[in-house]
Amino acid sequence: MLAAIHLLGRLALIRPRFAAGYLIVLTVTILAILAPLIAPYSPTEADSANFLQPPSAAHLFGTDNVGMDIFSRAIYAPRIDLTIAVLGTLLSALLGGSIGALAGYYSTGHGIRVWLSFAVMRAADVIQAFPVFVFAIALVASLGQSIQTVVLAIAFVNAPIYLRLMRSQVLSIRSMRYVEASQVNGLSDFQTIVRHVIPNAMAPVLAQLSINVGWGILLTAALSFVGAGVRAPTPEWGSMIAMGFQNVVTGQWWPSMFPGVMLAITVFGFSLVGASIEALADPAKRRQLLSDARQRDRKKAAVEQPSLERI
Amino acid sequence: MSEEFTRTKLVPTRRQFLQSAAAAGAASVLPSSLGAGEAFAQNASDTLVIAAPATPQGLDIEFDVSLGSIDSLGALYEYMLAYEKVPDPDAPGVLREDTSVHPDQPSGLALRGRLAEQWDMSPDGRKATFKLREGVVSNWGNKFTSKDVKWTWDRKFNLKGQGLFQTAVLGLKSPDQIKVEGDYAISFNLDQPNPLLLKQQCNLANPIYDGTKCAEVGGNDDPWAVNFLKNESAGFGPYRLRQLVRGQQAVFEARDDYWDTKPAMKRVIMREVPQSASRFSLLQGGAVDIAQFLQPRELEALKPQKTVAIDAVNASYMIWLELNAKIAPFDNVDVRRAVNLAIPRDEIIRTIYYGYADPQTAPMPYIYPMVDKSFFTYAYDLKKARALLDKAGVGASLATTISYNAGDPTQEPIALLIQTSLRQIGVELTLEKLPAGVFYENVTKRAKPMIFYLDSPWTPDPGYSTYLYFNSKSYVNYSNYNNPTVDQLITEGLQTLDNNVRKTKYTEVQKTLMDEAPWGFIAYPKYTLAHKADLKGFTYYSSNNLRFQDFSRA
Repeated sequence: MLAAIHLLGRLALIRPRFAAGYLIVLTVTILAILAPLIAPYSPTEADSANFLQPPSAAHLFGTDNVGMDIFSRAIYAPRIDLTIAVLGTLLSALLGGSIGALAGYYSTGHGIRVWLSFAVMRAADVIQAFPVFVFAIALVASLGQSIQTVVLAIAFVNAPIYLRLMRSQVLSIRSMRYVEASQVNGLSDFQTIVRHVIPNAMAPVLAQLSINVGWGILLTAALSFVGAGVRAPTPEWGSMIAMGFQNVVTGQWWPSMFPGVMLAITVFGFSLVGASIEALADPAKRRQLLSDARQRDRKKAAVEQPSLERI
Repeated sequence: MSEEFTRTKLVPTRRQFLQSAAAAGAASVLPSSLGAGEAFAQNASDTLVIAAPATPQGLDIEFDVSLGSIDSLGALYEYMLAYEKVPDPDAPGVLREDTSVHPDQPSGLALRGRLAEQWDMSPDGRKATFKLREGVVSNWGNKFTSKDVKWTWDRKFNLKGQGLFQTAVLGLKSPDQIKVEGDYAISFNLDQPNPLLLKQQCNLANPIYDGTKCAEVGGNDDPWAVNFLKNESAGFGPYRLRQLVRGQQAVFEARDDYWDTKPAMKRVIMREVPQSASRFSLLQGGAVDIAQFLQPRELEALKPQKTVAIDAVNASYMIWLELNAKIAPFDNVDVRRAVNLAIPRDEIIRTIYYGYADPQTAPMPYIYPMVDKSFFTYAYDLKKARALLDKAGVGASLATTISYNAGDPTQEPIALLIQTSLRQIGVELTLEKLPAGVFYENVTKRAKPMIFYLDSPWTPDPGYSTYLYFNSKSYVNYSNYNNPTVDQLITEGLQTLDNNVRKTKYTEVQKTLMDEAPWGFIAYPKYTLAHKADLKGFTYYSSNNLRFQDFSRA
């Protein structure tokens, strides 16, 4: 664990954009956790005496058209957005990853399992043929509007990504000697898959997780923007933008601008984190990064040495 | 249909181009088929360009009462009678229908003849005879006669659309009750006296069709010309339809052979611009003459602009909450009263409507005759509201759902204010946002405990209005209210011509309705119109529609 943190720390120094990603994600997470302590106002109470107030010391981000404090709502929002996106993504990884592992493991040979593997891939093709947003709206509309259905929608539309990732990894791993060895030792297919195949095929899945959390946040916000996501007045960036965007034309930009900016920054942060994990997971990129790190250390040492001599 | 107007090219000057630059962003959201040439068509002084939320979906009032459709009706069709116009007392330069009681006038109404030149009511109030105007021709060149009136009402009986409601409200049971008394005379013969008989002749839902043309195009396959009238017009109004491209635009052309004063606006282009922010920008940039149904905040933003004028008049609109009397907790009258006491009307009007509304203080439009606001006892009082909840025995906390229309941008913020207010008396509301189609389905199903409704009864009459919303047999009684005494009083009032007797009965009805609170009374939104400052003649009608023939340029 410490080694991983040390590695991440070094990585952040070599690639500052990765550091920015970690900082954004960390900040948003802390804000979400500490929102009840930080928020100066209730995020769900209307205050008609102070509607559409511009940003000021009393209301840092201003107020919306019923007087709710934008800052309080904006920092409460990641509680919902992050929860939905993380749960949806984990569920999609679990679902897609498991099915992908089985589909990859049984993709050759004969019998019903091969046919099932083929059918699963074609089903994934069908799901991915639909535009993600339209498909998610259809799911929410048919299952009913709630946080749970948004989580399910995110899980469902993202599952084929993990299915494909895991399957492609398993296809190459299943012919490895250690897999054959476990089979020779009498382990069942299930034991082989769980103990030897999946752990070795996880790297790209982990890299994809962070990217998908970002997409999940975006999808949650988009669903809420069109009224198919979380219910008002639950603080959520997409619904806040939807409530405020009509005001922009009359000069009240703040109800939609601040949640929009926070949404954009957060998604960007998760994308950067995803890129960093991808870099670490790829052996070639990791070697390059470590080489860069060593070079950086040497340069630093070289710079410090003359100054010591002068002393 | 001619496409002359779609090809019209009026090249703008550089100055005009720059003046319209502000509208460019909004114009970019218009359908691409609306070319740049058309964007400046309004420069012609006799062309009226309207940015409307929707073009007419259909032109047949039997089956379509959507916004674009009702604005088209008053231009394409003529009516038997109309109310006299009077200056609006609160809006300078605006006219409105004189719907008040006039004891000195026959039938107590200030009416003027349109297709009917003269009319006569029998002393028992069961027969009205109309002498029709001669020399009127339709947009197809056919002469207007009593057969057209007869064909129009026969159509209502046969199609079973909204016209059937029109016949029922007059107590007409058979087409034979409408008798042709000569080429230019027709009579309506009722079983019971009915005070709505003349009023309904002014109702926007009762246009007179050119029966000759309709019979000709319909033939045996479509004897009531349903397919024809959906896309075309056959009437005696001041305009004819030149083009209708649904979702894009409708174009109307003034008729040279119209029998009355020719409209000043020779062409009217109604463009579909669904987003109110886009309509706002188009008017702000001078690209259109009228921007319909702007949000109150947008109206306020336009106020300082000298080239734009805002008219806001008291209207027949009402917005309320249907408190379903058959679903707990609103089956308890004290809970309904408590909700009414906790509705922050003043906050709603100030915050959401920016003053373009008044508190709803009666169960009918406050502009209609015989309205009595004295029974309103629901001034904001949370202590009293909590006491009523205690009396109702609902416990310290109560949870229910408030459903609202996603297509109406005012309903969500109103729901939020009500939610915050009710929370203070221990009522926790869950907000349920419903897409427009699903919303209306839910309203008519009467399956929600508390759901918004915005409506206006088109006939300015207390009997018509209260029958519509509170008679237990009415289809529009969405709150499931049922009080036999109220039913009886409403019905008696609709069979009495004496306005004093009617007033007594409807005062009692309003008193009971206020006391039993089948609605969560919210507001009377005003009818607002944002238009170019040089455009004059706006007239307010109880049916909340425009009539293009009213407008001219200063």
